[in-house]
Amino acid sequence: MDYTFQYGQVWPYVPYLLKGAWLSLQIAFLAFCGGMLIGTACAAVKTFGSGWMRHGVNAYVVFFVNTPQLVQIYFLYFALPDMGIFLSSYMAVLLGMTLNAGAYLTEIQRAGFESRRQSEMEAAEVLGFSRWQQIRYVILPHVAKVLFPPLSNHYILMTLGTSMAAIFGVEELTGRAFNINSETFRSLEVFSIVAVIYVVVTLAASVLLALFGRFAFRAKMRVV
Amino acid sequence: MAHLELDNISAAYGKLRVLDGIDISVGSGETVGLIGPSGSGKSTILRVLTGLLKPEAGQVRVGGEPINFDKPAEIRRLRDRAAIVFQQYNLFQNLTVLENVMIAPTKVRGRKPRDVRPEAEHLLAKVGLADKINSYPDQLSGGQQQRVAIARGLCLKPEILLLDEVTAALDPELVSEVLDTIRGLAEDGMTMLIVSHEMGFIREISARVAFMADGKVVELGSPAQIFDAPEKERTRDFVGKILRH
Ligand SMILES: Nc1ncnc2c1ncn2[C@@H]1O[C@H](COP(=O)(O)OP(=O)(O)OP(=O)(O)O)[C@@H](O)[C@H]1O
Ligand SMILES: [Mg+2]
Repeated sequence: MDYTFQYGQVWPYVPYLLKGAWLSLQIAFLAFCGGMLIGTACAAVKTFGSGWMRHGVNAYVVFFVNTPQLVQIYFLYFALPDMGIFLSSYMAVLLGMTLNAGAYLTEIQRAGFESRRQSEMEAAEVLGFSRWQQIRYVILPHVAKVLFPPLSNHYILMTLGTSMAAIFGVEELTGRAFNINSETFRSLEVFSIVAVIYVVVTLAASVLLALFGRFAFRAKMRVV
Repeated sequence: MAHLELDNISAAYGKLRVLDGIDISVGSGETVGLIGPSGSGKSTILRVLTGLLKPEAGQVRVGGEPINFDKPAEIRRLRDRAAIVFQQYNLFQNLTVLENVMIAPTKVRGRKPRDVRPEAEHLLAKVGLADKINSYPDQLSGGQQQRVAIARGLCLKPEILLLDEVTAALDPELVSEVLDTIRGLAEDGMTMLIVSHEMGFIREISARVAFMADGKVVELGSPAQIFDAPEKERTRDFVGKILRH
């Protein structure tokens, strides 16, 4: 291969790319938080709710887990306007990712809720814990410990998934890479830099999350 | 006066009748052993005595006072006086050894951690775990966890201790550690009801032994009677089988 890399032309764009990366992080964070709200509520319904409510949640989860996220966002961006609902590309991506995350996080959290240990609950009851003390000292710490690793993983996946926003013209990291590429035509240089930024961001997030999980919940997580 | 009395207790899981007219009494400072085949209802008796299962009929009396199982306050009082050590330890996995022992006295009884801590440390030292107070349950052996569970029960200063197969899940080498701990409690005058398959231990430690089968107490008597000269055929069969291996 006699391709000569010419990073010189692309270097000046790095700050521009980093700002895009910051937007990616924001989208992932907001969608994750929204997804957690939806997921927690839906998992609670699935665990404790009545029949028809559970069916509703199941339909939502099955639909969003079994269709491509890209198609979901396309629907919000291109089909909703026909019904008179107009979303900016940023809002469509954010909403799509939130709804998608909500479905996945429902499933993850339900598994956590169901893993609570009867034996520990009985020990707590016999020791005289009130209902609230059982939740506070037995259920929550256990659920947090069980859930933290899969939730972190999903968060990392969502950070990478934000690159989909580029397709809708959102200027996050990948979107900005598209822009630079069409100005400079230095695809290899641009996308290798972008790849490095993604790696650094996700690795940093993984390490921080793993350290936090180990420290806060004694979660069994590998750092690096 | 008997410290702990079960008077004609019957209990069921749903439709399945598991206890059928149980009469047992344990005197103050006395140790009573409870033996019997698997499924005979031994654990269920301890579940009734800790308010985890409401009896369908009969009366439980502590210090002569009957317990009304419909009143949460009375169940709470029962739990104040009687502690249980479960067969599977049931330690809180997210808490250290010391925290496991201290949590009920501090959070439930509202005592100051500074007052409870020396007592908890003393109890843990007594069961040979002084060097493990900051470990988590999953870092301990089965025998060590079992002894933490005993210390946790004792830290509430119960008058009565209920032990369910506390050595069943242990390696033989660990059994003696736990048995030594229990022996020490008996010497200190704790009122105890002990479920165990360790016949040698039950025989040595119990003032009286109850043999159960199919939810009934078949025979209740001195260890010498139950193990050497059982009156009932059923007891003889069981003891004979167990002692033979
Ligand atoms: N939670 C439960 N739900 C329904 N049935 C139960 C439950 N726990 C126990 N049983 C049944 O009650 C009966 C008595 O059980 P119990 O646990 O008291 O026996 P055990 O004498 O302690 O036996 P083991 O020596 O095996 O521990 C058994 O037939 C058992 O199948
Ligand atoms: Mg049992």
